[in-house]
Amino acid sequence: MPDCLLDALPKIDQTALIIPGQSGQSAAWSYQQLAEAALALRAQQPDLQNKVVAINCSQLQQFLIELLAFDGYCSAMYLQPAPELAAPDRPVTPGQQTLWYLATSGTTGTPKWISHSLAELTKTVKSTAASGQLRWGLLYQPFRFAGLQVVLQSLLSGSCLVDASTGESEQRVQQLLNARVNALSGTPSLWRQLLFWPELPNLPLTQLTLGGEICDQPLLNQLQQCFPQARLRHIYASTEAGVGFSVTDGQAGFPRKYLDEGFKDLQFKVDDNQHLWLKRSTPFAATLQARLDSAGFLDTEDLVRVTSDRVYFLGRASGVINVGGNKVHPEQVEQRLLEVDGVAQARVYGKSSSILGQLILAELVPVPGADTDAVLQQVRLHCQQTLERYQTPYKFKWVNETKLAETGKLTRSTP
Amino acid sequence: MDLKQRIKACLEQTAELANCQLLQPVTDDTVLLQSGLDSLGFAMLVAQLDEELGFDPFSEMEIAVYPRTFAEFVQMYQQYQQKHTGV
Repeated sequence: MPDCLLDALPKIDQTALIIPGQSGQSAAWSYQQLAEAALALRAQQPDLQNKVVAINCSQLQQFLIELLAFDGYCSAMYLQPAPELAAPDRPVTPGQQTLWYLATSGTTGTPKWISHSLAELTKTVKSTAASGQLRWGLLYQPFRFAGLQVVLQSLLSGSCLVDASTGESEQRVQQLLNARVNALSGTPSLWRQLLFWPELPNLPLTQLTLGGEICDQPLLNQLQQCFPQARLRHIYASTEAGVGFSVTDGQAGFPRKYLDEGFKDLQFKVDDNQHLWLKRSTPFAATLQARLDSAGFLDTEDLVRVTSDRVYFLGRASGVINVGGNKVHPEQVEQRLLEVDGVAQARVYGKSSSILGQLILAELVPVPGADTDAVLQQVRLHCQQTLERYQTPYKFKWVNETKLAETGKLTRSTP
Repeated sequence: MDLKQRIKACLEQTAELANCQLLQPVTDDTVLLQSGLDSLGFAMLVAQLDEELGFDPFSEMEIAVYPRTFAEFVQMYQQYQQKHTGV
């Protein structure tokens, strides 16, 4: 892989990007046009060399041109989720490679900037002779990890990228159909949403990827039935640990034999607390050392169930709840609930949902003598004002006491 | 109250709780995802019906099928209710 994205871009005369417009009209850019625009941008901005830049992602073609122009040219790039989120004012040590800063989704509070290198971001990019025939639909936001993976996979393998990252699901399905997209990656929840549209099976998919959430068997079966020609794979990834693998046998979970034989450069084990541990051939980042055991395995903090032939994912050991791909920290929601007068204790936990993976439930203990109906009204109002919709418990239950584990900590399991 | 009415009442109640504005009164031909209920609201509806009726067709299916209209949605619940209660 060359040092910079622009050098790695295929020198081909093909469409690189399609952005569907309002009335079925769409705009297209070729690989050559993107490369020329990136060079022109460098020529216009000589002062930016070796500087830190912030890239706004509101327009996909401009976003791609800036990525191409500034990787290998500037010392760091901040991929701005929204114009209002300012890049931190922190010096970047100039190195040989441009650092790519991506913001975490901020569900844990303030978004955090995490740095990556181009080599790291393109580790899973695959290029085959057929890549040029692929038309990748972009369903994720391009400035997040998953979306950027699709962007880089498409660009570096000479495929065509079709923007369907915004809009209602019906509109997005139409955009994908109009552009004859044949490669698509999405979370299980997003796939379930797209499957509501009976036109979806008309997509000529040859590559179909699921990731970001636990994948269940009925959904895999349905996708296999809708797209018999497609190569179906679901991905397990721990982005913070920089490990991941994909499963292509159409079954949920992964083969149990991985625990004995390993898979590619990964070794697997499951401890008595059902945590999945992974070890890879290259060392883990220094920041992860505290989570390694003496044999060099990393605790992924993902809970699994092992059967005679399969290992299935159950969720996060930390209790993080995944609502349609959005991570919710129960403690954060509990803090909001406890801010309401009349609430003495709160326990927030996930309940499995056949539609969005998980939903949020809450148990509340009232202060003695509180009018629980009136308090509940305040709780709902306060949630509306202080939480995102997916963070808001869909149901509240009044209880006399909350369930504690022997450690005295709140338990997060469904009662 | 028959099953259809129960589901409709539950849908309206869920829409309010989920902070979704229903665009028009729900009829047989209403396309679920165009009714104003988004995927979060829809997930809440299915969870709520599971509590009220004691079954969730979506978690029982071997192959996931997603109904498009309100009538198709009700029909699916009617089929599963027969399976569960024999009624």
